[in-house]
Amino acid sequence: MFGFLKKVGDYTRDAVGAANYLAQGLGVTFDHLRRRPITVQYPYEKLIPSERYRGRIHYEFDKCIACEVCVRVCPINLPVVDWVMNKATKKKEFRNYSIDFGVCIFCGNCVEYCPTNCLSMTEEYELAAFDRHSLNFDNVALGRLPTSVTSDPAVVALKELVYLPKGVMDPHGVDPSAPRAGKLPEEVLATLPQATPTTEETPS
Amino acid sequence: MVTIPALAQVAQVGLDLEGSFELAMRSLGLSPGAAHLLWLPLPMVLVLVAAVVGVLVNVWLERKISAAVQQRIGPEYAGALGVLQPMADGMKLLFKEDVIPARADGLLFTLGPVLVLVPVILSWLVVPFGQNLLISNVGIGIFLWIALSSIQPIGLLMSGYASNNKYSLLGGLRAAAQSISYEIPLALAVLAVVMMSNSLSTVDIVNQQSGAGILSWNIWRQPVGFVIFWICALAECERLPFDLPEAEEELVAGYQTEYSGMKFALFYLGSYINLVLSALLVSVLYLGGWGFPVPVEWLAGWLGQSVDAPLVQVITASVGIVMTVLKAYLLVFFAILLRWTVPRVRIDQLLDLGWKFLLPIALVNLLVTASLKLAFPMAFGG
Repeated sequence: MFGFLKKVGDYTRDAVGAANYLAQGLGVTFDHLRRRPITVQYPYEKLIPSERYRGRIHYEFDKCIACEVCVRVCPINLPVVDWVMNKATKKKEFRNYSIDFGVCIFCGNCVEYCPTNCLSMTEEYELAAFDRHSLNFDNVALGRLPTSVTSDPAVVALKELVYLPKGVMDPHGVDPSAPRAGKLPEEVLATLPQATPTTEETPS
Repeated sequence: MVTIPALAQVAQVGLDLEGSFELAMRSLGLSPGAAHLLWLPLPMVLVLVAAVVGVLVNVWLERKISAAVQQRIGPEYAGALGVLQPMADGMKLLFKEDVIPARADGLLFTLGPVLVLVPVILSWLVVPFGQNLLISNVGIGIFLWIALSSIQPIGLLMSGYASNNKYSLLGGLRAAAQSISYEIPLALAVLAVVMMSNSLSTVDIVNQQSGAGILSWNIWRQPVGFVIFWICALAECERLPFDLPEAEEELVAGYQTEYSGMKFALFYLGSYINLVLSALLVSVLYLGGWGFPVPVEWLAGWLGQSVDAPLVQVITASVGIVMTVLKAYLLVFFAILLRWTVPRVRIDQLLDLGWKFLLPIALVNLLVTASLKLAFPMAFGG
């Protein structure tokens, strides 16, 4: 008899507990109704990419020495360095350079190892194309600079969350010159005790 | 149509649009039969339009509320605040290619969505928006709705089976299992209300709740029945958390997988009309239908107006329509909020909930209602 009553009691408690959790969950979703949208209205608003954003690669043909380091450090040997040996002058004659961004994984190894800094990362990420072959950029296409989000008059540039001033969550209407929360690296350095150079640390 | 004796009964209370329309037609020199024939299509077309507009509003609300809950904006550019987005969706479906898979059964494949939509629209027959503001005050009222809603799983099973697709078949089977399991507690919950109002007619059920405004609504006398009915209604509409016949993570889109264009639109329309219909019926059965929280008769009395005055009658009817729709859309809002609150149940949990929890509780609720009716015939409609 008591066993049965205990069962009924437990069952009822379970049901009431489930209803309680349901009410709590409804409270959470109902509370979200009054919150501001956190989405970025993409084609009209864009986030400013961070400083070390690895976007489409920029390439300067005039700086390149056709050393092919970028090809060797690339995980899949992607960059195509098209040169021929000029027998008469015994020098490389550079013709073409191309990277296929349909295949590139934007790891940035080529940029890291380029001895003449002719490769660099841009903040361009809108690479959609109708034909995958048009993603194969030659040295002319690689040399173009992307439109910056901040300078595009058709776009409202928004700061990412970590670049907002302290306490601000909504990027809309934030003063572009307002400093971000926390200290910049040089400010952190300024607070450190000045390291005095010693003779032991500078061997011959 | 409201029959003539029934009309005579209720002619004292509320507006009689049919009577005045036929009178006006007859004064133009038409025979009574012709006047009646002219009247016949009017409420039907009106209710059909109301159902479709209700769906458009529902789709818009669903998208906007879902967006708000997820801190998005939702449709914004089609019309002001995106109100034309459902229209755009509908137009897109209208112009899409209507594909019938090569190995599917063409006849059953086409018949399935029709069989899903027609009973749902037919059920609007018994939804009252006011004393005389319904297509037909049939004596079996709410029972007709329960009977019609059991046609739906046949259509779902038919479309799932005819698609010749494993996802469709599984979705159709699940839909059938779900509808059959939840029909029983639903019917038992309705039975308790019917027992209290001594009638299956939706108009009588509302009138029985209209005594003292909000205090006499059935929700206070049938709180358990209300919860059971709402859960079962959500399951019948295949709304989350009971949307496992079309669970996209498991079954692509369930029985809708192979459908496109207008046939898909019929399913879409059917599910949303069903949701609005269920919300309307909850407001009829438990929330006093077209009744204002304070009885309109009292308000008219306080303002020193006669209830039978034409202007007061028009105002009463408009308040009735507004109240019915308002209550229904409050419930729809709740259903949408619930959609983003609770996760989907598994098929075994679904059947457990239906057979082992809701069915016994609905039975107990029915028995308790019966005994309360015997013990307190005043409060429980003796």
